[in-house]
Amino acid sequence: MNAIDSFPILLSLRVAALAMLIAVPLGIALAWLQARRRYPLRRLVDAFILLPLVLPPSVVGFFLVVLLGRRGALGQWLERFFDVTLVFSPGAAVVASCAVALPMLVKTAQPAIEAVPAELEKVGRSLGLGPLALFFRVTLPAAWRGVLAAIVLAFARGIGEFGATLMFAGNIPGRTNTMPLEIYAAYQAGADARAALYVAVLTLISLAVVLVASQLAPKQEAR
Amino acid sequence: MSGHALDAQLSLRVGRGDESFLVEAELALESGVLVLFGPSGAGKSLTLQALAGLVSPQRGWIRVNGDVLLDHERRIDVPAHRRRIGYVPQQQSLLPFCDVAANVAFGLARKERRRGNPRVQALLEEFNLSDLARARPDSLSGGERQRVALARALAVEPRLLLLDEPFASIDHAARATLHQVLKATLDHHGTPAVFVTHDPEEAATLGDTVACLERGRTIATGSPAALLPGGQTVLVRGTSAEMVGRVSNGRVQIRVQSAVVEGPASLLNESQGRELELELRARSSEPARKRSPDEEAE
Repeated sequence: MNAIDSFPILLSLRVAALAMLIAVPLGIALAWLQARRRYPLRRLVDAFILLPLVLPPSVVGFFLVVLLGRRGALGQWLERFFDVTLVFSPGAAVVASCAVALPMLVKTAQPAIEAVPAELEKVGRSLGLGPLALFFRVTLPAAWRGVLAAIVLAFARGIGEFGATLMFAGNIPGRTNTMPLEIYAAYQAGADARAALYVAVLTLISLAVVLVASQLAPKQEAR
Repeated sequence: MSGHALDAQLSLRVGRGDESFLVEAELALESGVLVLFGPSGAGKSLTLQALAGLVSPQRGWIRVNGDVLLDHERRIDVPAHRRRIGYVPQQQSLLPFCDVAANVAFGLARKERRRGNPRVQALLEEFNLSDLARARPDSLSGGERQRVALARALAVEPRLLLLDEPFASIDHAARATLHQVLKATLDHHGTPAVFVTHDPEEAATLGDTVACLERGRTIATGSPAALLPGGQTVLVRGTSAEMVGRVSNGRVQIRVQSAVVEGPASLLNESQGRELELELRARSSEPARKRSPDEEAE
């Protein structure tokens, strides 16, 4: 066996972390919106949030290419005004990772926010807290366990992203070959030992995540 | 009318669909404590939350110390966080992630929230909570929790304090102490309050004025002594159909069609099939309002 190539490990961690930078604020905002607001088309928005979770990753990848590829509406715009080409770049891996992590985050954080007693927020408002202060000083601290569990689970989902990444970012060694892609490529090439290494790393990360998440989740109710 | 601690007239929808009904609340308080009294499901809590701006009424207006907080016709609706109205609900409402002192200081400006703020210390002392300053809410008894909730509401110096059955889940003995504490503090701070309860004893103990709410209507307002003993209020509702005749001294007789009489079972059950004579005393002098908030004595 050659020297261990740590690039896919570091790339995967970096991609998932960057994806979280987008997914966490957006996901928490969406979870709050769905938990606390009643507005027209709320169910439709709910369905769209859930979609990447139920669709095959290849379909998600296809949508990303159509939307953000060189000929995609948003892709052309990005290229023209920012000179950014996402497709087949590490950035594409971040977007793909974010696309599948986001629904996981929203759907796990939403019940945690819903479980915050309405009385706490009512009292917060009567004490002079505006909407933003109310969220950051009452809702979020009261729901932090569930929200943190959601972030951890979303990170795990994001780091394990395969299908959409393959379609949108490709598998370019030294550029977009995240661990899941590398496992597939190594296995195809008969380099089982190399595949096993990344399998072990991903399994360990996922195991740690599940343990942390289960530690966080149940105490939410025993308030 | 300014100078009154509270003047309000609110129409609120309670419940959904077929079960829903309209609450018409008419409240006035010069100073002291106004008790909103009535059975559960009468819309008391919702009325209180509308005063705080936590729910929106269909229409109406609210004036506190002469300041207009809500006026549908003038499209004024001050949001809850700008009303400076304290709110203490029945359910445990302390922030579980803050200790007692931090809970009391919660509504203060950032600079005033630091530990050892004299204002917070004074409130902790006033509510006999100094020894519990660092305790977590989940380690407190029900009575202690509500004392913290009261101290927290008063810390921001509200112009009106709203209390929604705050002592309902607290045992009888502890409740008496809490009544004393509440009375003393409201006096001390000079804060007018609206107190919701379905317990006549509590209403009599705390109320300077009592407003009786029954299935959505304010049926009477007055002193606790006049309204509360035994809940003898009788309500007559119907359509005045025709003038029967003049009696004397400007008095008339009218016939009321499809009249419904509502009152204590002890009085009305026996009257089935018999001629019923009720003595009504009008409280409202507004003839336009087709309501008769009255009293009864057989």
